[in-house]
Amino acid sequence: MPDPITQIIQLVTSTYFLEIVVFPGLISIAILGAFFTWFERKLTARVQLRIGPSYSSPAGGILQGFADIIKLLFKELIIPEGADRFFFIMSPVTALIIGAALLGLIPFAPGVQIANVEVGLPAFLAIVTLSPTLVLLAGWSANSKFPFIGGLRALFQQTAYEIPLWLSALGVVMITGTLNLTGIVQFQQNNGWLILPQALGALLFIVTSTAEMERLPFDLPEAESEIMMGWQAEYPGPLFMLVQGPAFIKLYAFAALFSTLYLGGYLGPAIIPPIVWFFLKTIVIIVAVMLFRSTFPRVRLDQLLRQGWTTLLTLSIVNIVIAYFIVVGVPAI
Amino acid sequence: MVSQGIPEETGYIIFLFAATLALVITLRLVISPRDPRPTPEKKAPFESGQIASGPGRTRFIIQYYPYILMFVVYDVIAMFLFAWALDLRALGASGTVPVLTFMVVALVPLAYALHLAGQRENW
Repeated sequence: MPDPITQIIQLVTSTYFLEIVVFPGLISIAILGAFFTWFERKLTARVQLRIGPSYSSPAGGILQGFADIIKLLFKELIIPEGADRFFFIMSPVTALIIGAALLGLIPFAPGVQIANVEVGLPAFLAIVTLSPTLVLLAGWSANSKFPFIGGLRALFQQTAYEIPLWLSALGVVMITGTLNLTGIVQFQQNNGWLILPQALGALLFIVTSTAEMERLPFDLPEAESEIMMGWQAEYPGPLFMLVQGPAFIKLYAFAALFSTLYLGGYLGPAIIPPIVWFFLKTIVIIVAVMLFRSTFPRVRLDQLLRQGWTTLLTLSIVNIVIAYFIVVGVPAI
Repeated sequence: MVSQGIPEETGYIIFLFAATLALVITLRLVISPRDPRPTPEKKAPFESGQIASGPGRTRFIIQYYPYILMFVVYDVIAMFLFAWALDLRALGASGTVPVLTFMVVALVPLAYALHLAGQRENW
């Protein structure tokens, strides 16, 4: 019988644990998150003819994200008067757990997947559904006006994009006949990338998932220029860092899901290993979503609700019809 | 989980990382600022520099409430379609016709609900 210390060392160095903690898990996400925060600021600056962060290292401020993490980590923890302490602290923590659960479902390469669930696609979408509820809870618990308005906006916004998001993913399920994410990639290995037959679905998916990520043009819950970061307004430094973490994880997880569903995931010519293909595709999607931020103005809440329930829903039903005809064949008239 | 032959160096790197993390957390607890007697201004909620007034949990935005009611119903209906989509090839027309009927029956009330939700004077 091995002693407990040996058991702990065995657990910590097991492949399973390493996948969760190091790669593709939390540490690599934290480093990527710090890097992409810098990249997004630099990209937005270039679009707006500014310079962007440039002081924190010789190479154009590339360490800015890490500097921000250290700065935020050592700030004072102020919880506003009358706030519900439990929900105020637990909402970002729970959001981080939800983000980690999302990453566990993505097949990064053949065999590099934390949980190969048979119902991976609906599980991903169901887990991500929880996050607007957490936003509402965080906004309510702060006992302040701007966070509460932000939380309510998250709640209403969810009703607009949630159904088109599910229905755009439905087209992929109809064509592949599986809910397993690895199965969807294997289908694309034999039949080509799904972005060609599902172009409309891919467009709908990226629009609705941008709304799900609460990024511009759909960042109503945290609109800086309207309601001062919305539901994040009252969060002090360390907790603000915890709030920003899940936001990036969601961006990353949705980009990974998009490349899995429509761009063939880890598939690609064998010159480059599969995992590099996967990261290349994911990074392209992340950069595209970042460019949305500097391209589109923010929508109004009533416009978003109206368009979500009319245009997006109609287009996603059209997409289902297209997927149906792809599966059964166009009937001869 | 059983160890699958990770080399000793990797274990060492992970140990170093955990030690760094523990050091950072300890440093955070020791050197980060703490205010034993915060002033009321410090703990007041943020209202763009104004002195905070009134309750923080303000009123519900009621004019979008119909969309939530619609969402509660139609989100579940969208879930049902996944069961149909999964076995689309095997089911054929015998499965598709009921689902199409179901969708048409579901979408007619949706159009009426959207019509009602657009009429602001009701709210």
